[in-house]
Amino acid sequence: MPHTLTPHIDVRNLDKTYKNKSVLKKVCLDFFEGELTAVIGRSGCGKSTLLKCLNGLERIDSGSIRVGNVFLDRNADQKHEERTSALRRNFGMVFQGFNLFPHLTILENLIKAPMVVKKLRRSEASAIAIPLLEKVGLLSHIDYYPSQLSGGQQQRAAIARALAMAPKVMLYDEPTSALDPWLSDEVFAVMRQIAAERMTQIVVTHELRFVREFADKVIFIEDGEVVEIGSPTELFEAPQDERTRRFLKR
Amino acid sequence: MTNVFPVVLLGFLSVLSSQSLATAGTLRWGGDASGGAPYLLLDPKNPEKIIGFEVEIAEAIARELGLQAQFYQNQWDKLIPGLKRKNYDIVINGIEITEERKAEVEFSKPYFYTYEQLTVKKNTDTIHEWADLAGKRVGSLKDSFAERMLKEHPGKVHVAGYEEQTTIYADLGYDRLDAVLLDQPIALYYGSLDPNLKNLDTHFGHVSYGICVRKGDFELLRQINDALTKLLASGELRAIYERWGLWNEELATRFHDPAPSHLIPSELNAYRESFQHHSDFQSRVEHYKTYVPLLAKGAIVTLQLSSVAMFFAVLLGLLLALVRLYAPRAIAACAFGFVELVRGTPLLIQLFLIYYGLPNVGIKLDPFTAAIIGLALNYGAYESEIYRAGILAIPHSQLETALALGLNRWQALFHIIIPQAIRIVVPPMTNDFISLLKDSSLVSVITLVELTRVYGQLAAASYDYFGVGILTAILYFVMGVPFVRLSRWIERRFSFESYLPRTIR
Repeated sequence: MPHTLTPHIDVRNLDKTYKNKSVLKKVCLDFFEGELTAVIGRSGCGKSTLLKCLNGLERIDSGSIRVGNVFLDRNADQKHEERTSALRRNFGMVFQGFNLFPHLTILENLIKAPMVVKKLRRSEASAIAIPLLEKVGLLSHIDYYPSQLSGGQQQRAAIARALAMAPKVMLYDEPTSALDPWLSDEVFAVMRQIAAERMTQIVVTHELRFVREFADKVIFIEDGEVVEIGSPTELFEAPQDERTRRFLKR
Repeated sequence: MTNVFPVVLLGFLSVLSSQSLATAGTLRWGGDASGGAPYLLLDPKNPEKIIGFEVEIAEAIARELGLQAQFYQNQWDKLIPGLKRKNYDIVINGIEITEERKAEVEFSKPYFYTYEQLTVKKNTDTIHEWADLAGKRVGSLKDSFAERMLKEHPGKVHVAGYEEQTTIYADLGYDRLDAVLLDQPIALYYGSLDPNLKNLDTHFGHVSYGICVRKGDFELLRQINDALTKLLASGELRAIYERWGLWNEELATRFHDPAPSHLIPSELNAYRESFQHHSDFQSRVEHYKTYVPLLAKGAIVTLQLSSVAMFFAVLLGLLLALVRLYAPRAIAACAFGFVELVRGTPLLIQLFLIYYGLPNVGIKLDPFTAAIIGLALNYGAYESEIYRAGILAIPHSQLETALALGLNRWQALFHIIIPQAIRIVVPPMTNDFISLLKDSSLVSVITLVELTRVYGQLAAASYDYFGVGILTAILYFVMGVPFVRLSRWIERRFSFESYLPRTIR
């Protein structure tokens, strides 16, 4: 896989502790532009926390995160809030529970943030949103409320909503855990399409079948530590670490 | 004979006039029109004007002083606080001259002398003398001279203190009391209306009424005493008492005027007649129609008060809820303290402190403003808890998602969290508004004439608590209905079940 030499995102010595329990330990990672990186590991290993630290939903205890030219460390100076939001602008996030806004239609879900944050007019925001809804196959559901959609449709809408803010990187936190295999495939299809457009994507998932087929790189985390990094072939065919072998055997 | 004060009875207008319109040309006098006959009452024939022997005295004094009498409504037991607060300059409303009151206000020389009279059921033959009251249940007005006499009775008298004189006689009729002890004019007017009651001839105690003036207001006091002297000398005062049927032996002795009455007690007769007209159903209904304009005015005041107060309560409640949820700990604790303090103390006392207490520290509010502040503070505290619960009921993931999309906390709150919380808070808010509508009746303690106060005045004038009560209850109910409907509509509009595509709906 060809990629640029300087990573798009780098994470250095990241530590995160919840009530004396260490969740992430000295994590160092590089993410390259245009790559789809999968993060795998057992539940509670710290995968989701890693994503939330990346876009500033969780504060980091030590270490640093750099995205492009935005640099964030623990130094809680006055600009911290400002830099967190600058960091966040790079990311679109998709959650396990979809988290669509139940009081808004699908279209309104997409245009809300562009209108509020970027001060776009409704027509301008809609002009961005409608092609995205078309891309995820929901053009006919534009005026529906979330509760009227299937889980797969809801997750696709959530992806479109994140894309509407024109992020540089998409983060997915177990995007298909609440879906059956058929609905999961709808969601994966959208993600493959985004990958084809060379957008950087980071996916936390348990769907190893998907990871094996479509990820550019796989990161295996256990107990808050990065155990192994490699291409799917390297990691699945010839795992170096005993812990990785045990995880893949199950 | 009697002057018309339709305007003054409008609560919200009396607000405007409470201080600012008091010019040198008016004699501002305070009284309570729910006190009833023969002192000061709404004319049963035309409830938009006030009549009573004290109304005539106030006007006669004003005329002597070259002034125009202007009436100010206030609850009877708050008349003296209102005087001190300079809402009006004198009080003429059956205030008995007592040592305690002399410490609070200056009294004019007595303008009326009377005695206490016992009223019992017609078939009662066990009560004749003072001593017979031992062990009996006897009713009187709260804080009146009669009540104090009863409490000092050597035998064990079960004293019941009432707010309104008419209800005392009603209770006697229902056998809840064995006797009623009240000033003779009250007994004359109310004790004799019910054919099952009789007034005993025996006189008890000596009562004298004086006009109250603020402490130190000696010039006004002198002028009023001079005017009383002139009215007494000219026979005008006696004429007023005779027309109201109030000339008695006590007055004859005190005023050294032993000549027998020669005027027909026309006002007493008119008052009694006004009841005989409405014995059948149809004439009753006809009569109720005359009450409607006054009740409607009261209802408008109630509605204005409640709407304005609720508006501010909603703003305050939202602010308090947000402070408690998101402000730094110390500020949130202050908001918590405020909510607890306001919720934990009675609204009545809060209103009283705001209106009569704050002038002591130089803050003098007009009654409408004071009422709005009291009600809004109170209901704001309750609303804040509802909103806090509503916001907390929205899953945290909604906030997290909004933040991830780049909204800041405030944007997330106003665009994502609050719109969802509305659906949850609307039913309890409606509850509160209806409750506020009714609680607003408490503001009559700070001189506002709203629906319940109008009810009290009409009921006292007509001696008809039942019919007027039903009319008033209907008005409250009708006022609440639009808000219930509005609430239902909002609930439907914001409920998740209604989140249907517009094309389908």
